[in-house]
Amino acid sequence: MPHAAATPPAGDLGRVLAQRERRFAAALLAPAFVALLATTTFPLLFLIGTSTFRMDLAMPFADGFVGLENYRTLLADDRFWSSLLVSLIYTASTVVLQVALGLALALLVMDMKRGQGWFRVVAILPVVLSPAVVGMIWRTFMLAPEFGIVDYLAINAGLGSQNWLGDPTLAMVSVVIIHTWQWTPFAFMVLLASLASLPEDIYEAARLDRASAWQRFKRITLPLLRPAIVMVVIMRTMVALTAFAAIFTVTGGGPGTATEILNLYAYRKSFTELSIGYGSALAVALLVVTILISGVLFAMRRAK
Amino acid sequence: MKPFAPTRRTFLKAGTATAALIGLGPSVLRQAAAQDADLAPYKSAKIDWQQTSGETITVAVIPASYFENLISLAPQFKALTGIDVRFEKIPPAQIRQKSVIDLTSKTGTYATHAADPMYYSLYDANKWVEPLDSYLADKTLTDAGWFKFDDIIPAWRAADSVDGKLYGVPYDGEVTIQVYRKDLFDAKGLKPADDLETFVKNAAALNSPNDRIWGTALRGVAGAGQNMYIYPSIFREFGGEWFKGGKLTVNGPEAEAALAWYVDVMKKYAPTAAANWNWPDIADAFSQGTVASYIDAHSSASVINNPEKSKIIGKVGYARWPKGPTGKRVSSIWNWGFPINAAQSEKKKKATWLFIQWAASAETQARTAHRFAGPTKRSGVNRTSIWKDPDYVKLMNGFGDNFVEATMATLQGDTDVDWRPRVPQWPAIGDTMATAIQSALSGQATIKAALDDAQRRVEPMMRG
Repeated sequence: MPHAAATPPAGDLGRVLAQRERRFAAALLAPAFVALLATTTFPLLFLIGTSTFRMDLAMPFADGFVGLENYRTLLADDRFWSSLLVSLIYTASTVVLQVALGLALALLVMDMKRGQGWFRVVAILPVVLSPAVVGMIWRTFMLAPEFGIVDYLAINAGLGSQNWLGDPTLAMVSVVIIHTWQWTPFAFMVLLASLASLPEDIYEAARLDRASAWQRFKRITLPLLRPAIVMVVIMRTMVALTAFAAIFTVTGGGPGTATEILNLYAYRKSFTELSIGYGSALAVALLVVTILISGVLFAMRRAK
Repeated sequence: MKPFAPTRRTFLKAGTATAALIGLGPSVLRQAAAQDADLAPYKSAKIDWQQTSGETITVAVIPASYFENLISLAPQFKALTGIDVRFEKIPPAQIRQKSVIDLTSKTGTYATHAADPMYYSLYDANKWVEPLDSYLADKTLTDAGWFKFDDIIPAWRAADSVDGKLYGVPYDGEVTIQVYRKDLFDAKGLKPADDLETFVKNAAALNSPNDRIWGTALRGVAGAGQNMYIYPSIFREFGGEWFKGGKLTVNGPEAEAALAWYVDVMKKYAPTAAANWNWPDIADAFSQGTVASYIDAHSSASVINNPEKSKIIGKVGYARWPKGPTGKRVSSIWNWGFPINAAQSEKKKKATWLFIQWAASAETQARTAHRFAGPTKRSGVNRTSIWKDPDYVKLMNGFGDNFVEATMATLQGDTDVDWRPRVPQWPAIGDTMATAIQSALSGQATIKAALDDAQRRVEPMMRG
């Protein structure tokens, strides 16, 4: 078809223009894309690559490619499993507490006639503090036995002085409480905003049908809040799984390994024990766990 | 003194100075004279201090008064050598990691840093730092007669060497000694303990939590430089050997006995909170009068003698470590030394050495200690001669009874370079042991289980 090539029809011209536009768009996108690759994808691949090497700063002569050796060690490492368990307990308990307390607070504040704005400002304060600072405050002023405020209250309440950070179980409870204390306001603010946007007429209809307060909460409020709650759960789970600063400053994973979450174990392996290869394998394991859990949560969100 | 030989540089300097003098008058004259006097003791060294003039080096130190005093003298160093020194202050908890990251990436960011003596094996294994013997021997770089390297406390020098090769020069150091409340001891007719058994008895006699006085406190918080700073001394006093038949051993009967002693003392006679205490917390509690005795660094004396905070000034006495069941005293020793980062140009290495020589010299040590103008004086000077200087001894004995005697006797008689396992794997071993000690203290594991678990974890670390 020689004449067709000589005078392209209008449709072809459109295609050429569209192709040009795509190229232009790609050129515009490229810098951001490259920057993203360089700062996120590349380090991630590098991490995965490092996890297949033995890299021990203490024994540089033994370094080299070991394939999946680090992962085999990991599966047989009981400290990996115990730190994973600690991570899961920590995440589950802090997220449940945050949502439950956040929702309760939001419902309470919704009905406040006055001082709601003031309450919101006060409630948001812990969120804006650095977790490391929060950790230091709790560790020194609040929880120190005989000297801290919480312990003073416990003594006066007749509970006696407790070794809040020195006892394995209490230490876990303490770090869960600290995280919950700091991040409940986040759940509270999100849920309060969603509550405020719920349509009033449904409640009015329910009241006309003589639905009790509990029925209204269970049948109307909860289902309508579900998207917001699921969103809070997903966001808080991902943060709790990778939490670090507060536990690092409060207990350093101790006593012993009682509060050593997986993240902290990976950090200690890499930067204290200088076993970079194995530390990377631990970090990859944490990544896999986080992806799996958030995958499940996202699936639940879509399933409705 | 060098004979006066005008060069173009000095001629120009003189010219500028004269011009300035005419303009500014006597105040500059006084200042210039003061600076000359400042540098005279250094200029008597037969080396060319100006040989690397114009270089800039970065030195990582920890935020502590003994380094602050040094930093305040940096202008003198600049005037002497023409080298610009930039100090970076890094908290002690991070300085090891930061310097290891710098050394392993070979960027040469820190020309030198305040180094943990336990890390020299690691540095040596990776050839990250320069062996310093050649710098000491080089007559163009070091005036041996002036620097008097042998005057530096031998225990600290040994700690900064690996297999007899020197890798760091001690700047400031410490040893652990017994610190006790003289008034409380006298009231009950007690004497500072000569053995660990008496130490426990003393603690028991004075322990009275209802009156908010506890018998003693030892470092409880987990860390290679925290509980693993005190425990190794106890372990060695109980007859423990880190390398039994060449194999690193952290468990066994001696280790169990030592850890049992530590856990028992901490549980019965120390405040519960001490399980999370490091030395500043112990010194704070002692200075508030809530702890009757402790064993820790002699340098904590400056905290418990701080007139603004301490309630027990004038009531403090010092003694050497109590002997263990083997009859041995083993003090925990420490020093911040300066190595030379190997990832630098030759000229920078020389500049770094000049800085180290200046900082570790008797003159600078004196200027940052008893002759320092500011309020905080150092208690960790690195030179035997200064520890015999009447001015310094008088100043130090202000900390309480027997301070200088106990410190010096400990430094000379109770130290043991191998009180901790000095191997490149130390960071991992130290952390593992710290976790084990804390598990045992908190009751997360029994003493035997904690130590056996540590042994299981330590073994693969030693396999090449």
